[in-house]
Amino acid sequence: MTRYAMAIDQRRCIGCHSCSVACRTWNDLPMDIIYNPVLGGVVEGEWPNVHRNYVPTLCMHCKNPECVPCCPTGASQQDEDGVVWVDYKKCMGCKVCVNACPYGMRDTSHTVRRFDEYVRKCTFCKERREMEPDKDPYCVQTCHQKARIFGDIDDPNSAISRLINRSDTFRLLEELGTDPQIYYIPALGGKR
Amino acid sequence: MDKVTYQKENMNPQYPHHYWEYPIAIYLFLGGLGGGILFLSWVLSAFVFPGIDLTQAFMLPNFVALIAIAIGLFFLVFELGQPPVFYRAYVTATSIIKWGAVLLTIASFGDLFWLLGNWSPATPVLGFLSVFNFLGGLSGIWLAAAGISGFGIMVYTGVMLSTLKAHAFWSTPALPVLFTISALSTACAGIMLLMGGWPGVAADMHAAHAVHELLHTCDIVLVIAEITVLMIMVLSFLGAGNRTQQRVAKRWVKGSTAPIFWVGMIGIGLVIPLICNCSGVAGLATLASILVLCGGCLLRFLCVWSDDRQPLPDENRYYFRLKTADPRFMTEWYKEGKDLERGQTWAPKENLF
Repeated sequence: MTRYAMAIDQRRCIGCHSCSVACRTWNDLPMDIIYNPVLGGVVEGEWPNVHRNYVPTLCMHCKNPECVPCCPTGASQQDEDGVVWVDYKKCMGCKVCVNACPYGMRDTSHTVRRFDEYVRKCTFCKERREMEPDKDPYCVQTCHQKARIFGDIDDPNSAISRLINRSDTFRLLEELGTDPQIYYIPALGGKR
Repeated sequence: MDKVTYQKENMNPQYPHHYWEYPIAIYLFLGGLGGGILFLSWVLSAFVFPGIDLTQAFMLPNFVALIAIAIGLFFLVFELGQPPVFYRAYVTATSIIKWGAVLLTIASFGDLFWLLGNWSPATPVLGFLSVFNFLGGLSGIWLAAAGISGFGIMVYTGVMLSTLKAHAFWSTPALPVLFTISALSTACAGIMLLMGGWPGVAADMHAAHAVHELLHTCDIVLVIAEITVLMIMVLSFLGAGNRTQQRVAKRWVKGSTAPIFWVGMIGIGLVIPLICNCSGVAGLATLASILVLCGGCLLRFLCVWSDDRQPLPDENRYYFRLKTADPRFMTEWYKEGKDLERGQTWAPKENLF
């Protein structure tokens, strides 16, 4: 079965924020919403092996998402391929899922008209992939460093599977048991 | 060679904003208060004083409970992003919010039917409402439904927060216990203030006095229990919690919210009412009830504001830089965003950059 995931290669990321800009443009986001902030930028390591470490983030599309079962309207859903998304027609903007997400990757806009707020989040560009199935999410396509690799993690021949299998990876806040599907390949030769 | 690490631990620890604001705190307080009053009035009527008619004594407290739940629900709906479609909350079976909505609905209607069934209109003008008198025959059922749902509401307000394990300070079994004790304590205070105050038919003062005495004793026990649970929760977070829990507990004990915690919640909300209640002076007991209500409200506000999430790597630094690197630019940026949403034409401001 298809199971979408993303690998983020920190060795390649230079913190240019192209992915953030691409996402904002494609999704036509309000001013105060960002789906994929590029965190970090701290210098780590010991001289001469130092590296400016960026942590590009987005919704982790967890296998055990906290944000889906808590939704009182059923707007927050997870597809069989693992993509977590919000049905805007069902959302009433109660922000329970926003509070439930341990990664802070959901939000409502504070600049849109009152009474027309709903929860927004990354969907791995679900609508775009439905129209053009062979296309990657916009942030992946835009990353000129090829630091973001998207694909089916259940397919052993996919690029993401092969990359994750041969690399030392970590995931954010793994201890919470949400089983996030964004894998980070750390900089500094795989040492965290 | 020293490790080269650029950390900004002392930067602003706040996230972009609180996702839930003051309406949720008010809702949690009023929901707990209303639920507690309904639960206590049912338990006292049905089990503690089964042979005594306490209907008139509980008319005003149960009316205020209905108003409290209604106002709380108003704030809850007001906080929604899309208030006109609040009815969607009843859809799913798994969500705890859905069960909260169901409990609030049952409690409200149970209480409303109980009030209408037991209300004897004093003036002929309102006599047409006697059509509801048939509800009086099922008075016990309405009160039981409201009381059981009221207990559910008291527990639910704490459970709702404690299930959100993204927020370390909420995600503890102690929080539902604390909220339930606080709801019972505020309900005791509310009933003692309001009991027998319904205009018209006089309540059985002897029975009302007995209930008052019992609630007075209960409130002393509940306030002691609340202080104990609260201190255990906060101090255990401070001493043995994870980094996020420690940060919030530190803020409560000796940080920015310490004055509200020590003076407002512990001092004015719990210790002074305890002293007043133990003093045996009638006037001070009334003051104690008012202060307990204030303390319960402060508890909800402090808890809702303690929604710190475990930060991702350098998340604080990212949002700190975004907000404060160029405050003037950010102000104008947000303003232009709002103008654009309203359909106004965007025009660059001179000298902005």
